[in-house]
Amino acid sequence: MRAFFFYFVISMLFLSCNKDKTTFTPIPYAINIPSHFPEMEIPQDNPMTEEGIELGRFLFYEIKLSGDNTMSCSSCHLPEYGFAENTSFSTGIDGISGNRNAMPLFNLGWEDFFFWDGRRNTLEGQILGPVPNPIEMHQEWKEATNKLNADVNYRNMFYRAFGEEGIDSIKVSKAIAQFLRTIISSNSKFDVMYKYENSLPLSPSENEMLLTVEAEEWAGYDLFKSLNGADCFHCHNGPLMRVKKFSNNGLDGSFSDLGRALVTNDPNDEGKFKVPSLRNIELTAPYMHDGRFNTLDEVIEHYSSGIHISSTIDPLIEFAGQGGVQLDAQEKFLIKKFLLTLTDTVFINNPNFKDPFN
Amino acid sequence: MIRFIFILLTCSFFIASCKKEGCTDSQAENYNPNANEDDGSCTYASDLLQINVNPKFGAQNFYLDSAFETSEGYFVKFTDIKFYISELKNGNDVLCDVALYDLRQTQHNLTSIPGDYSKYGSLFGEIGIDSVINHSDPSAFPNDSPLNISNAGLMHWGWNPGYIFISIEGKVDTLATGNNFNHNISFHVGTDQFLQSFGFDNLIWIPTDDGYKLDWTLDLQAFLNNSQSAIDLKNEFLTHSGSGQMILAEKVKNNFLIALTQ
Repeated sequence: MRAFFFYFVISMLFLSCNKDKTTFTPIPYAINIPSHFPEMEIPQDNPMTEEGIELGRFLFYEIKLSGDNTMSCSSCHLPEYGFAENTSFSTGIDGISGNRNAMPLFNLGWEDFFFWDGRRNTLEGQILGPVPNPIEMHQEWKEATNKLNADVNYRNMFYRAFGEEGIDSIKVSKAIAQFLRTIISSNSKFDVMYKYENSLPLSPSENEMLLTVEAEEWAGYDLFKSLNGADCFHCHNGPLMRVKKFSNNGLDGSFSDLGRALVTNDPNDEGKFKVPSLRNIELTAPYMHDGRFNTLDEVIEHYSSGIHISSTIDPLIEFAGQGGVQLDAQEKFLIKKFLLTLTDTVFINNPNFKDPFN
Repeated sequence: MIRFIFILLTCSFFIASCKKEGCTDSQAENYNPNANEDDGSCTYASDLLQINVNPKFGAQNFYLDSAFETSEGYFVKFTDIKFYISELKNGNDVLCDVALYDLRQTQHNLTSIPGDYSKYGSLFGEIGIDSVINHSDPSAFPNDSPLNISNAGLMHWGWNPGYIFISIEGKVDTLATGNNFNHNISFHVGTDQFLQSFGFDNLIWIPTDDGYKLDWTLDLQAFLNNSQSAIDLKNEFLTHSGSGQMILAEKVKNNFLIALTQ
């Protein structure tokens, strides 16, 4: 009898450890939009909550989402590289490489299309792609969610985030999207320069940073914006440092990757790719959709003298006929000085964006 | 006594029933056929008023990325046509504060807005943005505003120069081979001095399924060939309204106004 009682107590303790025991009391998350940024549109069917963001952060770093439990989203999107990767192409769990450079992940709440070719027009939709992709995480969503469902902690976290039992790919994508929308980069030296030049209020720490802006960085910024200088700002302007468009920026005379045209089937879109933000450009090498340039110097040289004309080249590459904007050595130096002001160390060191498993 | 009370109640009932308040306008959404006294509660459905700007090249249908022959014998492909219209109104009746025409993104539609077409027999406005708004924080406009930096995109130069009022981009084959489009054109007209007024009288609104529409025309051939200031794409292909580019910017501004007709 005593033995029976002992086993009964032990059994109850064991069971209680695995019991789903939680409540649904979501705390709305008030996202802090930088003063010089536009408002962020949050999808009505995926409001941000503390619980959803926490879950999304775990899922972003969760290796169970890959077929052999070795890769997570963060494997190709590392914080120290602006949530990009320092190789031209990422390698999936089967050792297969893709053919496009992993894009950095920040300020995604302001994007209207995703991937280099813009084949997804919601962040949630973008997130659904890499898990079943055979050259990336290579796992059917059903298997991935079964793994998550076997973990009581995830069952509880999903319940706390969504208020209903059951884990599916839609909930996974919504949670990761909530987390990604919190990854905002807005604390670079450029941000202080942008605010200062437009008479926007600066915080005490921003005023301190303003004092560190060098004359060469200001000169580089002027050159960056100059229509007769580097002429960069046609495609990289505003606080987000990009415009929403697809562009052929003169990388090739003929195309091995058709880019946007693979989505639209329009020959006028051949060789066009999404214009990326230049924020954190120092961290996100290699550059371009195929990671062909390893350094900023190579990128600057491309726009200076390496432009290739083709049928779909962007008319905004106005000096294409002469191979580029023809910068001299001093101008290249100044442009690079300015580009380095776009690095946001606050963002990459934010503990809220780091791996929760470590 | 009972008979007196009965007569009194009956009369009261008839008196009360004779006066029934409500909306008496049969054209209103909440028309009440039983009402015999209008209480001012009538509400009316707004029509959707659309203004379309249909591009053409002379007598030809116009499409982006299609080649058209100029009077000089060049071939030109336009890749983007965008412009801002603001303060579109008839007297004190404002139809639209600001609209961004983007041929590639929104096809021919300049604006679609609920309203009463009968107020807009004439429309006057600006091509471009008033100077006060032109230099405002582009991030501070509502998300659905065409002035918001997310929507303006490359139509916003910066706080100081402001918005690009007219943007026409394309490629020209000046060798006239029909397949050598390697000569870019980029007409970006903006800054306060290039704001210009326009307007149309005697507008004829055309009924649609859900309202009324106006069909305006933008003739790109007229834009290039304006007899007073024709644009030679071989030599006049780039302006950002900056110093040294003002003459062409002025041409673009003037020719655009001539090319835009009702």
